[in-house]
Amino acid sequence: MKVMETGEKTGFVGRLRLRWANDSHFGTVLVLLGLIILQTLVLGFDYDSVGQWFSAWGRNWINILRNNAGVGIIALGMTFVIITGGIDLSVGSTLVAIGAASMMMLDIGPKGFLGNLGITGLPAYVLTVIFAMLMGLVLGALTGLLITKGRIAPFVATLGTMKILRSVTQHFMQGYNPRVPREFLQLANLQVGGLMFMPIIYWLAIALILIYVSQRTVWGRQVIAVGSNERAAQLSGVNVNRVKVGAYTLTGVLVGIASIIQVARIGTMDFANAGSGYEMDAIAAAVVGGTSMRGGRGTIFGTVLGMLIIAVMNNLLNLFGVPPFLREAAKGVIVIASVLFQRKESA
Amino acid sequence: MIVEMKNIYKSFGKNQVLKDVSITINGGEICALIGENGAGKSTLMNILGGVLPADSGTIYLDGKPVRFANPAESLRAGIAFIHQELNLINDLPVYENMFLGREIRSRWGRLDLETMEEKTADIFRRMNIELDPRAMVRDLDASYKQIVEICRAIMMDASVIIMDEPTTSLTEPEIRRVFQMMETLRDQGVGIIFISHKLNEVMDICERYMVLRDGELVAEGDVAAVTTDDLARFMVGHDVRTEQLTREVRIGEEVLRVENLNHRTAFRGINFSVRRGEILGFTGLLGDGRSELFQAIFGADEVLSGRVWLDGQEVKIHSTEHALELGIGYLPRNRKENAIIKDMNILENASIVTWPLFAKRGVIDINRQEGLFTEQIDRLGIRLQRITDSINTLSGGNQQKVVLAKWLAARPKVLILDNPTQGVDVGAKEEIYDIILDLAEQGLAIIVLSSEAQEIIRLCDRALVMYQGHIQGEVSGGTMNEHDIMRLATGGVLSAS
Ligand SMILES: Nc1ncnc2c1ncn2[C@@H]1O[C@H](COP(=O)(O)OP(=O)(O)OP(=O)(O)O)[C@@H](O)[C@H]1O
Ligand SMILES: [Mg+2]
Repeated sequence: MKVMETGEKTGFVGRLRLRWANDSHFGTVLVLLGLIILQTLVLGFDYDSVGQWFSAWGRNWINILRNNAGVGIIALGMTFVIITGGIDLSVGSTLVAIGAASMMMLDIGPKGFLGNLGITGLPAYVLTVIFAMLMGLVLGALTGLLITKGRIAPFVATLGTMKILRSVTQHFMQGYNPRVPREFLQLANLQVGGLMFMPIIYWLAIALILIYVSQRTVWGRQVIAVGSNERAAQLSGVNVNRVKVGAYTLTGVLVGIASIIQVARIGTMDFANAGSGYEMDAIAAAVVGGTSMRGGRGTIFGTVLGMLIIAVMNNLLNLFGVPPFLREAAKGVIVIASVLFQRKESA
Repeated sequence: MIVEMKNIYKSFGKNQVLKDVSITINGGEICALIGENGAGKSTLMNILGGVLPADSGTIYLDGKPVRFANPAESLRAGIAFIHQELNLINDLPVYENMFLGREIRSRWGRLDLETMEEKTADIFRRMNIELDPRAMVRDLDASYKQIVEICRAIMMDASVIIMDEPTTSLTEPEIRRVFQMMETLRDQGVGIIFISHKLNEVMDICERYMVLRDGELVAEGDVAAVTTDDLARFMVGHDVRTEQLTREVRIGEEVLRVENLNHRTAFRGINFSVRRGEILGFTGLLGDGRSELFQAIFGADEVLSGRVWLDGQEVKIHSTEHALELGIGYLPRNRKENAIIKDMNILENASIVTWPLFAKRGVIDINRQEGLFTEQIDRLGIRLQRITDSINTLSGGNQQKVVLAKWLAARPKVLILDNPTQGVDVGAKEEIYDIILDLAEQGLAIIVLSSEAQEIIRLCDRALVMYQGHIQGEVSGGTMNEHDIMRLATGGVLSAS
């Protein structure tokens, strides 16, 4: 009797199918490439020269990436949180709280905190950036403790802090509009060769560091273990609470960075609306990139891809002239479709 | 009903797991399916149970060819399957788990909870099992979960029942009851396929045996005509060493001492100590609390009161990480729930414990971990393709060896092994016993938790027998015997001799 070698796929289609089954990013990359090709076609080739076409195409891309850098950075932290089996709804409100505090420090008006201490210029900017990250760290750690030591479900705990942080910020910032020094805006608006891409560089650098962290460090792998089987992780000597607090703390720090980027981009912040919906966008990026809401599964690289897919999709809808309200619906469709897509893995 | 599987082939990638296997199971007989870890037993049964498709080959029921696309179809055809690993839903009560996928509904499609509960209580009564049908599965001990699975299969009115290592977390009395039930079913004409690595169980309950080796059927026949040594030889292909390795017992100073340890529910008034070079056993029956005791000592659960000394210093262990740092290791029982991390690969599962021990500035030393594990692969005879494959590609016994490997690599001062040979084949079991004896000789203090009296007698210098959460008595030295252990385990006392 002749036996079929089921595992030995040959030919182009066979190899493709094998990659599809074994490499969780393969499908995501394909989708992204498809969208980029579509986007390129829609942009059209209606230019005088190839150089002109390319520069238009590039500018469009830099716009896309820059506009998504903040949420993109937050989504990286969110990925760790979701892998542990948690969720952080408070990122948008934390962003506003940190943004408000940072602006108060930088304010060049009479109430400016650092200004009154006589600290201005570069030292003030450095201090503010450090402060923003520290504030994120503290808020994130507190959230983590609430969830682990306080034993409150992540959804509930962060829903609480989400409400608290936004309303407290709004209350204290009533009628107060801090003015950020122009120089500080260079942090995000520095132009190199007529292009502004600082936020993109921050995003890229952080993503690369975190890819390393998640793949190579003890904590990075313990995150997977905790999300996949918490009891087994604990019985392997993993300090489950510390691993979880670490994930929320990291997210807090990243929100601090995103907040600084936001402040530095336009110099003001709408405390009622800034950052709202970021939590959902960050979660969507992670999920589209293959992170499982049940925990245990997900990669940083996947989340970067997920963010890009959502961003390009938005851009496409924009180019197609789809009305803004409907664009949110499209986001919902992508999230659901990607989850359905990823079912194949668990089968 | 007669089940025939003819010319079954199955491969996973390049790994040819079943090669031209043909077996027959008749109604009214209990047939053993045995073989080494990774021989292909579970895979063959997964094909019969509709869990996996065969690459080629046919299944016949009473001579008619059938095809099962999923487990539900196989069940509908009258084949019930008790899987090697527990398969219950933690968030549902026992009685709903008993009817998963076959819920009883009243008119309007409402779930008929009352009837389901009654039927469950009824089968527990018949099996002589004290278990509340309304208990949440999450709160049950692994042994009870296994009992629930067995009862569920029995209740299905199946013509054929596949039992893949149903006894690994049960103690003697439950095993007896399960065997009685199996005999009753057999007499009613049900065919049973029984997979086990405990060959004396096979001798006890089975009429016929079938042996798989490297995916081929290498022997079958009547159990009455063979001995356990014969079966072991069929499985591995050569004689299995059964003589005992003796070690030079050099018991040193006290390492771990526990005084008057109490738990909210599981145990109370626990006192014991263990010395360097000593192998101390803990045994007992279902509900004796020994696993809870050691999970608490390891820092995974809270104790109410009591004191613990390590190397003469009192310690308050507040987390498992802390216990590990102090030099205490605990290999849990029930690997699927307590040890296997299904989203990680084999190497990661085998090294998670030692990551922090060998890390440099928080970065995992992959080369060192790989080196350590490669040694263990040979020593424990772990059958795998690549160490970066998912842990789910390993057979049950090989997963157990991976779990064991991660603790052997950690080299703690006190190593607690809870049911360490769960699902491990005869040859590997001997190898593991040798390793344990060797570690003791090197000066580790070892605590072995087991419900197999044989294992305790074989390994331990002395053993404490627990009964309903307290230590009922101690047996030691060359006079240890099953009779004394059983007596203490059921709450009796030993007459002073
Ligand atoms: N899903 C899978 N993917 C790849 N390989 C697999 C898979 N399941 C099983 N195998 C391989 O098939 C072989 C047979 O496994 P199987 O589970 O049937 O062994 P077994 O006889 O039941 O062993 P044990 O006594 O340890 O339970 C093993 O080498 C195993 O690694
Ligand atoms: Mg098996």
